[in-house]
Amino acid sequence: MDSDDDMLDAYDDVESGEYDTSSDRDDDDDEHGHGENETDCGYLVEDDDSSTSTRCSQVNYVVLKEEDIRKRQEDDIKQVSTVFSITNVEASVLLLHYRWNVSKLNDEWFADEEKVRRTVGVLEGGSLVVAVDNPRKVKCGICFDKFRRIKIVPVVCGHSFCSTCWNGYVSTAINDGSGCLMRKCPEPSCHVAVGRDVVEKVVSSEEERDKYDRYFLRSYIEESRKMKWCPAPGCEHAVEFSATGMSASYDVSCSCSHRFCWNCKEDAHSPVDCGTVSKWILKNSAEAENTTWILANSKACPKCKRPIEKNHGCMHMTCGSPCKHQFCWLCLGAWTEHGGSTGGFYSCNKYEKAKKGGLYDEAEKKREMAKSSLERYTHYYERWASNEKSRKKAFGDLQVFLSEKIAKLSEVQCIPETQLTFITDAWGQIIECRRVLKWTYAYGYYLPESEHEKRRFFEYMQGEAESGLERLHRCVETESEVFQDGEVPSEQYFNAFRQKLNTLTSVTKTHFETLVKALENGLCDVKSQAACSKETPSKKRRK
Amino acid sequence: MICADLKVVRLILYLSWRDRLLCANSDMQQSRARLFKEYKEVQREKVADPDIQLVCDDTNIFKWTALIKGPSETPYEGGVFQLAFAVPEPYPLQPPQVRFLTKIFHPNVHFKTGEICLDILKNAWSPAWTLQSVCRAIIALMAHPEADSPLNCDSGNLLRSGDVRGFNSMARMYTRLAAMPKKG
Ligand SMILES: [Zn+2]
Ligand SMILES: [Zn+2]
Ligand SMILES: [Zn+2]
Ligand SMILES: [Zn+2]
Ligand SMILES: [Zn+2]
Ligand SMILES: [Zn+2]
Repeated sequence: MDSDDDMLDAYDDVESGEYDTSSDRDDDDDEHGHGENETDCGYLVEDDDSSTSTRCSQVNYVVLKEEDIRKRQEDDIKQVSTVFSITNVEASVLLLHYRWNVSKLNDEWFADEEKVRRTVGVLEGGSLVVAVDNPRKVKCGICFDKFRRIKIVPVVCGHSFCSTCWNGYVSTAINDGSGCLMRKCPEPSCHVAVGRDVVEKVVSSEEERDKYDRYFLRSYIEESRKMKWCPAPGCEHAVEFSATGMSASYDVSCSCSHRFCWNCKEDAHSPVDCGTVSKWILKNSAEAENTTWILANSKACPKCKRPIEKNHGCMHMTCGSPCKHQFCWLCLGAWTEHGGSTGGFYSCNKYEKAKKGGLYDEAEKKREMAKSSLERYTHYYERWASNEKSRKKAFGDLQVFLSEKIAKLSEVQCIPETQLTFITDAWGQIIECRRVLKWTYAYGYYLPESEHEKRRFFEYMQGEAESGLERLHRCVETESEVFQDGEVPSEQYFNAFRQKLNTLTSVTKTHFETLVKALENGLCDVKSQAACSKETPSKKRRK
Repeated sequence: MICADLKVVRLILYLSWRDRLLCANSDMQQSRARLFKEYKEVQREKVADPDIQLVCDDTNIFKWTALIKGPSETPYEGGVFQLAFAVPEPYPLQPPQVRFLTKIFHPNVHFKTGEICLDILKNAWSPAWTLQSVCRAIIALMAHPEADSPLNCDSGNLLRSGDVRGFNSMARMYTRLAAMPKKG
């Protein structure tokens, strides 16, 4: 507890501010529940508290369910067919060709209807007809069999193919992919588009019709510049994004709970920009061979060399009895060197080259450089990957907590569940912070070595945030377990735990808020903050 | 004529025998029926199109070869080029695979494998095309090479750099070497 008190001491003057939407409470007041910012129509509004937020970041996005998408698509079709006085099928063909851009279609149609009809393949006065050159029997252009007229599928251009061949033609196209939406008449010289009416008439398999229908629906989102599919596997929602004013991030939350960047579709990565993220992802795949060892789930204890498995989310490891050595999963250094209690900074986040004296010859220098550049990368990659793992772990733990543990805890401690939401909040904070922290390592990797001031400032803030987060994560992981078994039934202990967790949650939130703001500003207030970073160590030494 | 009819009879016998053995696959049934119609059509059209001679394999209706004449006023004039067709089971819903058996210097034909880059053999395929019309399209491609999608880079580069004379002489040389009957 010593170190915690010490840390809290240093920050007792910081009033907690609103930071993220996932957990917007720091005390026991729980009049409002989670998920209340999602209304029936699926409107999600991310709204930073304006009193603490300096940027105007009201971002509007709408999560669209399949019915919503269909409705919009049908409305567009109806609008076009009414204005142009054409059938819904013809309107669909035109809209597919114009990538669902109604206004562009409008402009071009009224400028030169004839030309639009010709290029898209929609005949004027098109009704389905059968060629009548031979009154009795017609030759199918695909199987070359002769059929009575009744067996020939009527199409607007009058080209004759039997229903079996039409079925084969359209089915093959459907199984080949979304290109089936843009099919033309099988006659090579004919440009008439195959509309939905023909597809419905000739395709017998229910499965293939559904497939066609799916492509039709998907094209509405995929061709749009304002709507995108949620990238979560199995999720069928789309998100329409419209930034109002200067928005800082593209992060959206789908109603399936997946958070992603609307712009690049990666996992939500604010406050780091898409460019840095894509560079980083590319780098990771290029270096994948060199970094597989990082993803291992067990490491040898640095003291007793016994393998120890990581089954917690926090990086603070404790070896089993009798060793009991406490060390850091990331750097394998003693945990005692990881906080303010020893008077230093938390500096596990910082990459420092192993310094070597002496003279190198050219070749050795080059080798050394290659080695150190890989070393530098692995430093950031390991932290990035570990935080992602840890975020996932925390997410799973939160689910377990909500589905089982909260009820048990409420029973054992005789406290109503509504008063245990401070634990849920802590988990929510951890998940969000792990996400942010993860991306700050991609940011740190690309922050130029030459920007000394910025780097120092950044690493200081990142270190403080990380150190707070490790405490919070460990506290909720280990200490809440104790109360679970009812071994410590004392109300007093539980209240102390509540107090501690609330404080840690709020402190961590504040740290991350500061970090996020600084990164969003591109670390440009480095000068004004420099004083603060020099001041803090003395504060810490006070005790 | 008698000879051709005998061949038809043989083919029918062979195919009906195979059908009884194989569990009849409807794709295969359809493609075979269609190929058979093409086969009869080819017998009739031989006279109509003297530039194309399509021949079906004696025992396998999914294997064809064709002899096509190099189009006049091109470096391929005077040459006779052999094509090999491998017809897939879903034919005509899927295009046949065609390649040159005769060496040819052409930007859209792979010099080593004879593979042909032609849109109608890929995404622009229509089931209304026939083996005969594919041959016609290949003859048209010989007369009008597409230098921008080259399978033979040397040849494509010659054309794109505007060295038509260089291209023509190379193409003519290979026509003479590979596509003309050796005079004893
Ligand atoms: Zn047919
Ligand atoms: Zn047509
Ligand atoms: Zn989703
Ligand atoms: Zn992004
Ligand atoms: Zn140990
Ligand atoms: Zn460490």
